[in-house]
Amino acid sequence: MLLKHGVTAPEPISQSIARRALVITTFKEELIRRLNLPFTPEDLHEDISLLGSGLGLDSLDALEIILCIESCFKIKIPDENIAVLRSINTVVDFVIEQQERKGVAA
Amino acid sequence: MRTSPLKDRFAGKGTVLRERYGVEVVARVADKQTECRAVRDTVGLTDFSFTRKYRIPAEQGLDFLDGLLAGNVPKVRFGRVLHTFLADDDGLLVGDCYVANNDEEFILLCESIVPDAEIDRVMQAHGAAAAGMEDLTTSHGLLSLDGFKAWEIAKEIFGADVLGLPYLSIEVYPFQNQSVRLFRAGKTSEFGYLLLVPQAVAPAVFDTLAPAVEKCGGRRCGVDAHDDLRLEGRFFNIHAEGLRVRDPLVLGLQWMIDFDKDNFRGCEAIKRRRAQGIRKKIVGVAAERGCDQLVTGAQIFHDGRAVAEVVADAFSFVLEQPLGLAVFPAELAYSGLSFRLAAADGPSVRTISMPPIMPKSLMVKLDEM
Repeated sequence: MLLKHGVTAPEPISQSIARRALVITTFKEELIRRLNLPFTPEDLHEDISLLGSGLGLDSLDALEIILCIESCFKIKIPDENIAVLRSINTVVDFVIEQQERKGVAA
Repeated sequence: MRTSPLKDRFAGKGTVLRERYGVEVVARVADKQTECRAVRDTVGLTDFSFTRKYRIPAEQGLDFLDGLLAGNVPKVRFGRVLHTFLADDDGLLVGDCYVANNDEEFILLCESIVPDAEIDRVMQAHGAAAAGMEDLTTSHGLLSLDGFKAWEIAKEIFGADVLGLPYLSIEVYPFQNQSVRLFRAGKTSEFGYLLLVPQAVAPAVFDTLAPAVEKCGGRRCGVDAHDDLRLEGRFFNIHAEGLRVRDPLVLGLQWMIDFDKDNFRGCEAIKRRRAQGIRKKIVGVAAERGCDQLVTGAQIFHDGRAVAEVVADAFSFVLEQPLGLAVFPAELAYSGLSFRLAAADGPSVRTISMPPIMPKSLMVKLDEM
């Protein structure tokens, strides 16, 4: 895979990137739509804090994020696992981990 | 060189003072590990008086600040605080700012990376005098109370209603016939409070806080520990990656910007770069335990070529491993990838999702206490 700036990525990296990019884009687009955020997906850095600082979302928004994850990826977030909502990247890590588990189980 | 009104209170054996942009700061009071652990486990008391501080009457201040800063100041509700930034005409960072809407006044706290004279020039050129801006920088001290148990100290000194303050809010409390403006804020990912105190009572406020902090198991801290704590908690640090990169879009600070505004300082340049698309992004990185090459300025290699540069580094005493932030081409700016550090065959470094730690404070619900 030839990336911009002449950087060539070996296949395992390009596969990881493609898989992650898909989850990120899906989640960001749904997040922006559901919460009516005044940003484009490109504006949202993946490490942005979802609650408190950063996007500054509140507990009601947190519920909307959980619904967003369930809707997009058919994955439930247990109450005790609220820590995954720290950032977009931590949500994406959780989604990919759950997808892999489902894949293994299937 | 500007010094702090609280300098004497932080002086002592082991205290290291350092100049930063013409301002003296308390860099360390003890070793960094001790200070970082104090904040993560109990509480740290730090002198943030280096911050530029301003008071602007609400009536004139609204337009003044909205035309100066990237965020939407009119949207800041009474009692709340906006986290945004001040840029130069090229849209490059000058200051990391909190703006508080405090009834008849706005309070602006600005951690800047330029000398005081440059900030003064920017403010005056923007109409500070006409807006009635009062510079509190030398007339007030600023103390930062941060940590898992910071709320206990704030409650003890100012009362239980402190616990009801949401993140990014301001409240005023009396102290020896003076007003202490208390910000619920902080950039460590633990509970944080900033206390803006008139110089006349700043030592007395410190003398009240310090014993309570020590009784709680905490201690005085320096700003070096905050640099590491900010990175570990993935809070933006203008003194580290901010100073080195300066482009708010590469730094992922779009959330601090109201893109519907067309009048803030640096607006045109920032919007032009946004329209062109982001070609570089900042990403968290982690090296193996014991690796000493994850340092600011180090190159990151992929497929035999340098592709990224480390722009901030820290040691996480929670994870016991070196962490950093690096600027990658957007195509490679993803978490979970492996690269080489310092050379094509250098030690392994991995991009990571930030923040990599789970702060204890996130599990405490103050409004339920």
